Amino acid sequence: MRQAGTYSAILSGGVSGRTGPHSLPLARIKKIMKRSGDDVKMISGEAPIVFSKACELFIEELTQRAWMMTLQGKRRTLHKEDVAAAVMATDIFDFLVEMVSDSNGTQMAPATKSNISVAER
Amino acid sequence: MEPMDIVGKSKEDVSLPKATMSKIIKEMLPPDVRVARDAQDLLVECCVEFINLVSSESNEVCSREEKRTIAPEHVLKALEVLGFGEYIEEVYAAYEQHKLDTLDSPKGGKFSGIEMTEEEALAEQQRMFAEARARMNNGMTLQKQSDPDHGFNG
Repeated sequence: MRQAGTYSAILSGGVSGRTGPHSLPLARIKKIMKRSGDDVKMISGEAPIVFSKACELFIEELTQRAWMMTLQGKRRTLHKEDVAAAVMATDIFDFLVEMVSDSNGTQMAPATKSNISVAER
Repeated sequence: MEPMDIVGKSKEDVSLPKATMSKIIKEMLPPDVRVARDAQDLLVECCVEFINLVSSESNEVCSREEKRTIAPEHVLKALEVLGFGEYIEEVYAAYEQHKLDTLDSPKGGKFSGIEMTEEEALAEQQRMFAEARARMNNGMTLQKQSDPDHGFNG
């Protein structure tokens, strides 16, 4: 699918949009969904399809934000700390705070709390 | 990884395929950028956590609507509630596109069957019978040629 995502614009000078038809495996997604809680209802066959795209967008956004941290550090290799910094700087990624802290042992504070803001709703 | 690991006894066991994830990640970045291995692993873990989060919320949305099956609409609502409302448009478009795609192919979707001609259905049926016969004969001779005189007129 060649739809240019909303977030492609943020990344100036980089690769915009996606070219490949890579999709996450639906069966795997469904498995993860079933394990997400103790009392998960039946899952329609179409729900994983929606998830597949949502995950792509999520990963794209997280990757982009992490990449911006990398750029701030004037580096060309994206490190775990960049991902952690992106999580800290983004409200909707709050659910990941523990995950990125745990892997580092301590909370990673970005050098500057960047003013990246998602478009106001 | 042992076969039993695939069954997965705990949440940690089920993850997303690294190769596919790697491609998605790399396509977002300029070609000369490298992604550290631990960063990639963390991104995958975050994605799994994202699914957990949205699944839980979807489950609740579904309950509130007193439905028994989590449908795409519930997932979309969950995305909005959790602050990922901006994904909705693209996600919905992809979903619609997928429905169209599966409509076209004769084998895909619930709306297929109309597409398959009687000839194709016949051939398919004969092929399946041939395979079954072969299984019955313990695979001694695989009957590739089905008896054309068999009347399968339905």
